[in-house]
Amino acid sequence: MENAAQITASQLQQALRTQSIPVPSHSWLQTLVSSSRQQLPLASLIATARTRLLASDLTTRNLLDSTYIAEHTFPSSILPTPPNTNNTTINTEVKETCLGRDIAVQVLDIENLNRSRWEQVEELEAIERGEQTRGRQVIRLPTTTTLTGDGDDLGVVDESTQSTTTTAMTSGGAATAAREQEKQNKNATHKLVLQDAKGAKMFALELRRIDRIAVGKLNIGEKMLLRAGTVVARGVLLLEPATCQVLGGKVELWHKAWVEGRLARLKEEVGADRR
Amino acid sequence: MTRVLCVAEKPSIAKAVAGHLSGGSYQVRNTGDTYVKNYVFDFNFGPPWGPSSVTMTSVRGHLTALEFPAVYKRWEHPPPERLFDAPVQTVVTDDCKNIAKNIEEQARYSDALFIWTDCDREGEHIGGEVRDAARKGKRGIQIKRARFSNIERAHIIYAAQHPISLDERQVEAVSARIELDLRIGLAFTRFLTLSLRALGGVMSDLLLSYGSCQFPTLGFVVDRYFRVRNFVPETFWAIKVMHERDDIKVNFNWSRHRLFDRMSVIILYERCLSARTAKVTNVQEKPTKKWKPLPLTTVELQKMATRFLGLTGKDTMDVAENLYNKGFISYPRTETDRFDKAMNLRELVAKQSQDSLWGQFAQNLVNGAFQQPRQGRHDDKAHPPIHPVTYAAHTVLDDREKKVYEFVVRRFLACCSDDAKGVATDVEITYGEEVFTAHGIIVLERNYLDVYPYEKWTGTAELPKFTVGEGFEPTEALITEGKTTPPAYLTEADLIALMDANGIGTDATMAEHIDKIQKREYARTISRAGGGGRASGGGDDDDNENDDAPAARGGRGRGRGGRAGQGGRGGARGGRGGGGGGGVKEFVPTSLGVALIEGFDRMHFETSLGKPFLRKEMELEMKAICEGRTSKQVVLHESVSKYRHVYDQSREELNVLKQACRQYVFGNAQAA
Repeated sequence: MENAAQITASQLQQALRTQSIPVPSHSWLQTLVSSSRQQLPLASLIATARTRLLASDLTTRNLLDSTYIAEHTFPSSILPTPPNTNNTTINTEVKETCLGRDIAVQVLDIENLNRSRWEQVEELEAIERGEQTRGRQVIRLPTTTTLTGDGDDLGVVDESTQSTTTTAMTSGGAATAAREQEKQNKNATHKLVLQDAKGAKMFALELRRIDRIAVGKLNIGEKMLLRAGTVVARGVLLLEPATCQVLGGKVELWHKAWVEGRLARLKEEVGADRR
Repeated sequence: MTRVLCVAEKPSIAKAVAGHLSGGSYQVRNTGDTYVKNYVFDFNFGPPWGPSSVTMTSVRGHLTALEFPAVYKRWEHPPPERLFDAPVQTVVTDDCKNIAKNIEEQARYSDALFIWTDCDREGEHIGGEVRDAARKGKRGIQIKRARFSNIERAHIIYAAQHPISLDERQVEAVSARIELDLRIGLAFTRFLTLSLRALGGVMSDLLLSYGSCQFPTLGFVVDRYFRVRNFVPETFWAIKVMHERDDIKVNFNWSRHRLFDRMSVIILYERCLSARTAKVTNVQEKPTKKWKPLPLTTVELQKMATRFLGLTGKDTMDVAENLYNKGFISYPRTETDRFDKAMNLRELVAKQSQDSLWGQFAQNLVNGAFQQPRQGRHDDKAHPPIHPVTYAAHTVLDDREKKVYEFVVRRFLACCSDDAKGVATDVEITYGEEVFTAHGIIVLERNYLDVYPYEKWTGTAELPKFTVGEGFEPTEALITEGKTTPPAYLTEADLIALMDANGIGTDATMAEHIDKIQKREYARTISRAGGGGRASGGGDDDDNENDDAPAARGGRGRGRGGRAGQGGRGGARGGRGGGGGGGVKEFVPTSLGVALIEGFDRMHFETSLGKPFLRKEMELEMKAICEGRTSKQVVLHESVSKYRHVYDQSREELNVLKQACRQYVFGNAQAA
């Protein structure tokens, strides 16, 4: 039994290497394989491994294969010296350089630079009150979500276009609002904070529009692969569809905290914690 | 001969209609009411009545009122909530007793009652009151109703010969509304007044009236007030590219518009500069139009009049009503923005050709420039869009009438004219990785704009020649910095638009609600500070400018400074906003108004009285009654229980409301 699992973990790792997701460590895969109660076919194991990996924090010890980490993290040349893992600082010295290899990263933060923070504050506050505006019309949102005190979806209601568990999305008004959002997103420019498997953080700027990058659409903890050739200008990664591959995933806890803390964060940034 | 009793909604209409039907020869009899006369003449209605002896009279608006029995007259007892289900009775109001008596007596000698009240929901209900009064005189009297929308002669005669039935559903809808307004209005007014007077001080003598339209209207004013007050400006950055060619300075707009992050803009800017040359990626030259306006509705009339004529919505409606009563314009209460194809509009245009100001324009239309008006999407099936019916010489109108009449005529002529035409040029360049565009318009034919000075279409300077594929080094490329600015306080036009979009009041009553919140001292107007440039983003035309629509449209609270380097176009917009000419009034709430709305909002009901939702539902129910989808009884029951629910909650959380009053009216805690 032990032996069989051993083989499967290696096989699994081998199989996962051919996919574009970060390669998990042998030990992590072993745990995964041995924890499954019955023998699963390889395809199911691959799918399970993929899902769990994308839902994990990439910096978790022993999550990823050490060779993979060494080859898929930011080179120190583009990071500020000394590297600072607590804050996202920028190495502005270098006007332009390119990534020489593929880097696996996870999303820590996302911001739409086209919208003023206050505009977003007003919108979130309206949603907290159970309202939304469509043109001049004030729409009452279904209040069930907000009243249950569950809080999970508070911030997501406004912008989520994916099938999260929000009830508000089912109403016609919110659906239209989502379409409007979509239109707004077409010309948006987002700024992200991305983190590699060693914990180094960098800012990324959307140089050309990437559809999956949008507030409410891109999850916190979602994984991306930055292809070799990605331009780094003044220490900021410039994202474009050709070199930025969004892999999916979400770190549930981070995402929840991000959504719940969004309004307070926006208010603080804009210096409006009065009221 | 058949004996027919005709009853109009007001004396002026009775007189005008009698004049048309009798050909001017009628006998006038006095009645018990000073203003109401009976006009007696003969008229041939055609089948089934045939030649008839006619008495034409009128009421003066509503004949009756709904009231509670005397035991409910005292405010303290029975408690206000009893008014939700206390019995009500319909009584003829004191000043209408003689009018009702006149109708009753006349009916006694008549075979048929022919109702000539205005053709809208309110008029239908008044028709119902007239019918009830007539039936007291003669139980089995035959009842018909005239359908008309202006008092031009041919139209009136046609209406007289094509009677229809009274629409019972509309009568029911209005009587449901009247009953709800009475119960809800009085219950909350007494509750608020009694509860809040207890706070003493300046509040001890106040009458705090509540109306289910007034409060949401006030809610809009308060909401905007706080949005302005709480606004926090933020800095944004943009890249501005200017290129001079053939002595023309062309400003290119950044496709990213602007970003709220300096670092990002600097990085992108640096990459533009590194590229040195910009490349022309697209040049498009295409014919463009500025659409002529849609036919005129009541809401649009009020919005335009408050913006350009310096009148309040209420003044506008009063004046329009006068013009209608004098036969100069069609019925001014209409939601319809499309003309019936069968109407002879050319004939109406021709009547305006004698005018010294717009006569020449009208004559041109008659001579062949006439174009069928655009068809809007609204049709209330009762009245055509507001339009001039006959020509009114300037000398027969007073100043305010002149303004409104001129507007109605110009709007009508604009509708019958052609769109303004021009050529739009769009040039797109790529500079580094960034995309910029320049937009130029040359106006070729002004058409309707010549008669309609309320709209402008300023062509930006002609763009010089650019060729796809060519490269050039821009004359200037800069990072600009700007700050977002708060939205402006609501103008009356904004407020009407909000009420319209949210179903508060009908087009006919909106102006009154706005007037009322000022009379109650819940809100007041102030003159807009500063220059004209404060047109709220996207607040202007909603259905116009097909391809001239700037991207700034519709952005909530977007900074207007945002379109830095927008050149001519930004200027054109600003100019329009300021076009009202200095006297633009803005609405701000009083401290009392703030306290009431904040108080209700803070109670956190599902449905605050300061929000439009409850009233909107009620308005929809009225519509449902008219369409036969529900009945008065059902609506009364449902609406009353909704409001009673709110009432109970308000009573439980009265302290929240009191606290809001202490805070805003008495200035305890942080002052507003």
